[in-house]
Amino acid sequence: MATESSESEEEGKIRGGNDKLNIDDDLREMGKNAAWSVSSCKPGNGVATLRDDNLETYWQSDGLQPHLINIQFQKKVRLQLVFVYVDFKLDESYTPSRISIRAGDGFHNLKEIKSVELVKPTGWVCLSLSGTDPRETFVNTFMLQIAILSNHLNGRDTHIRQIKVYGPRPNPIPRQPFQFTSAEFLTYSTLR
Amino acid sequence: MENLLLNSVEKNLSQFMFTNAIFLCQRLLAQFPSEVNLQLLARCYLSNSQAYSAYYILKGSKMPQSRYLFAFSCFKLDLLGEAETALLPSKEYIEEVPGGAAGHYLLGLIYRYAGRKNSSIQQFRMALSLDPLCWEAYGELCSLGAAEEASTVFSNVSSHCLQKTCVAQKVSFSEGAIIDQLTDSDKASKDARLWQTEDAPGESQQDLKIKQFGPDIPPDTYRQLNNSSHTNVWDLKTPSPVLSQVLDAPPPLLYKNMRRPAVEGLMSVHGESRRKYVSEEMSAEVAEESGRRRSARIAARKKIPISQSFGKDSQWLHLSPSESNYVPSLSSMIGKCKIQSSKEATTSDQSISDRGSCVNDDEYSNPNGSSADRFSLVSGISEVLNLLKILGDGHRHLLMYNCQEALLVYQKLSQKQYNTHWVLMQVGKAYFELQDYFNADSVFTLVHQHCSLYRPASISMLLFCFSDFLSLVLKHLKEEMRLGYLAQELISVDRLSPETWCAVGNCYSLRKDHETALKMFQRAIQLNERFTYAHTLCGHEFAALEEFEYAERCYRRALSIDTRHYNAWYGLGMTYLHLEKYEFAQNQFQMALQINPRSSVIMCYSGIALHESKRNDEALKMMEKAIIADTKNPLPKYYKANILANLGDYHKAKKVLEELKDCAPQESSVHALLGKIYKQLKLYDKAVLHFGTALDLNPSPSDAAKIKAYMERLIVPDELETEENL
Repeated sequence: MATESSESEEEGKIRGGNDKLNIDDDLREMGKNAAWSVSSCKPGNGVATLRDDNLETYWQSDGLQPHLINIQFQKKVRLQLVFVYVDFKLDESYTPSRISIRAGDGFHNLKEIKSVELVKPTGWVCLSLSGTDPRETFVNTFMLQIAILSNHLNGRDTHIRQIKVYGPRPNPIPRQPFQFTSAEFLTYSTLR
Repeated sequence: MENLLLNSVEKNLSQFMFTNAIFLCQRLLAQFPSEVNLQLLARCYLSNSQAYSAYYILKGSKMPQSRYLFAFSCFKLDLLGEAETALLPSKEYIEEVPGGAAGHYLLGLIYRYAGRKNSSIQQFRMALSLDPLCWEAYGELCSLGAAEEASTVFSNVSSHCLQKTCVAQKVSFSEGAIIDQLTDSDKASKDARLWQTEDAPGESQQDLKIKQFGPDIPPDTYRQLNNSSHTNVWDLKTPSPVLSQVLDAPPPLLYKNMRRPAVEGLMSVHGESRRKYVSEEMSAEVAEESGRRRSARIAARKKIPISQSFGKDSQWLHLSPSESNYVPSLSSMIGKCKIQSSKEATTSDQSISDRGSCVNDDEYSNPNGSSADRFSLVSGISEVLNLLKILGDGHRHLLMYNCQEALLVYQKLSQKQYNTHWVLMQVGKAYFELQDYFNADSVFTLVHQHCSLYRPASISMLLFCFSDFLSLVLKHLKEEMRLGYLAQELISVDRLSPETWCAVGNCYSLRKDHETALKMFQRAIQLNERFTYAHTLCGHEFAALEEFEYAERCYRRALSIDTRHYNAWYGLGMTYLHLEKYEFAQNQFQMALQINPRSSVIMCYSGIALHESKRNDEALKMMEKAIIADTKNPLPKYYKANILANLGDYHKAKKVLEELKDCAPQESSVHALLGKIYKQLKLYDKAVLHFGTALDLNPSPSDAAKIKAYMERLIVPDELETEENL
């Protein structure tokens, strides 16, 4: 699993954040196959800034809370982690405080699967999508919605600098029930 | 003045002072405009990689050599149509293709690039019949899949043909064989003599022409010594209009490109084209040749003291004592032939006027009778041909992917020949194709070490040659660090070689950074558009990124360059499998199997595609074939069990898996599948046992979740069972 920032004592609260993104090999970024949209934005700080790999640019919302980021896929995908880059030191009252993640087939049947509260985060914050059941490491869904319910210091609008969504790698060999683990099997499984 | 300039130009060419040569040649041409001088200027331009200049000046020339040079420049500029018209005989011009074997070879390449496979095969065959030592033509035939048995190509017929050309080419030999081994003092003395002897004869038409075709003309006529400096760089062969056959003067680089020293003198016109193609073909040959030559040279050096004259003996042929006063010209085996040729030369009516300096020849051009010389010539030729036969056989087998036979054939070579870089590369490739990555790795490491005996520059060439394979091998064996180190080494040595970037790309791919890997492979393609493998690798990366359209495009591009590149067919098949177009996938795998019928991996996937298309009997048969083809490959058995399980034949599947489990105890998927089967067979405790083992063996997280889910569901249907089953 990806390394997490220092967990807080209370459930649902996350303090701090990581400077670097440490991801396991068996996960890959799924955001490229999705359509991203936001509930509102200030001109010049639109949705593209969420995906531009640039931590200097940020998305700024411009409306009523809750602010929403919608991620829609063309087919059901398995997702495991969401990483959000926010920085209290830079954004202060624009930094999100309570975040809720919802999943579903579309706007009509989203259900909340995760809710966290951030406390002065600086860096990458990891939000794991696995349910309460430790065996369900993934959530299999068409759509993900990240809702910013409130900000630090009761700010109205929010800044988010980058978002990444991770899911498991697909089986490199199609139509196979299980993936191979041992060296002998793997050497024979592909040609270059 | 003309002679002075001419010699100066030749000297500059041989010493790689191309710009100086161009300048002088331009003055020469301005003062004495003639087609021959024009050809010389074109040669200067081509040596300096200015194909466009050569093209411009030669446009419209009629002489065969000019046409050949013109065609060559067109080829370099990618103007295939013009090159073709220049080379093809027409009513106004001579009936033959200019350049002899080299011309046919060039024509063959043109047709190949244009995709006209049959014409190109025809041309390569012509080239080989004209000159059996045109190895590159044979290599091209092999890669087109149309090569005949090596023994028919390099046979007695070719031996006779070679003899004829040898005898006729009296002049070429001495020059041809020369290499740059002579000391400066030698050169200086030679030059001095050169000027003298040149001034001596009048500017006869003959002389002029002779000087033009420089090294081709018996140096022994004016200069007794190996004017290696003069002859080395003469990459372009000039089928002289004076002498009807092709004369050879292999350039130094060509020299390196030669297969074996013996061939020096017999090096035919394709020589120069070979030099040009060094960049295209793997310089594998180069380093290998240089290696072999060097050893021959060094050995030779020790044997014979330097004296005037040319011709030298190598350890291959036995020289009679009368030849003790030969200069060690490191080249050859052809030493004998040269002697032969010199003798012939002295007796030839081709005589060049100033034969005064030929005196030395007469001394030892001793009449042991031309029969003895003929015999040595014949034996030299037959040795060369035998060697080529073995190599040709091996090469052909390798390109038909009969890897085992290829390995056996290469074993027949002598130690010296075997330990050369080209052969070892082929051996390594054979192991690689057999998926025997450990052996391939050791062979390539051996090559790597071998080359560090020589100058570091040759390391780079070797690395280029095998880096693509080596990096792939390492990738398979997952030795990231070694791969990274190799990539670094390569980049520092030669950034302009596409193989370097392929190696680097493979490093990134191994680390699953597919986008960067893609960028590296695209750089490799920019460096050489026709590097098939780079296209295929690009395709693999796109496939890994799930961008299947782009992947398909890349694979098809690779196939348009080389239809026999079975990896691209395999890649296409895998892409279609991912896209669930099973019929198409099956077709692609069939094509791949036609080219490489022994690959068990391809058979495996073909079987999967068949199974998914519901052709289960064929699928099972294919799996059986795969199991037989490569017993070390556990995958076909696994897939066979999978298919059987899907068909409901659980007992057979179970049996197969039980065997497999013993061969590969560490594989979690085997246990997982077994667990599923036991569940179907209602042997729940065994199922649980196997699922548990599967989990212990570190499956991927998604699989772990799946297995856990199966375990849960085991309990549900049997409500009567208690929790002990857990």
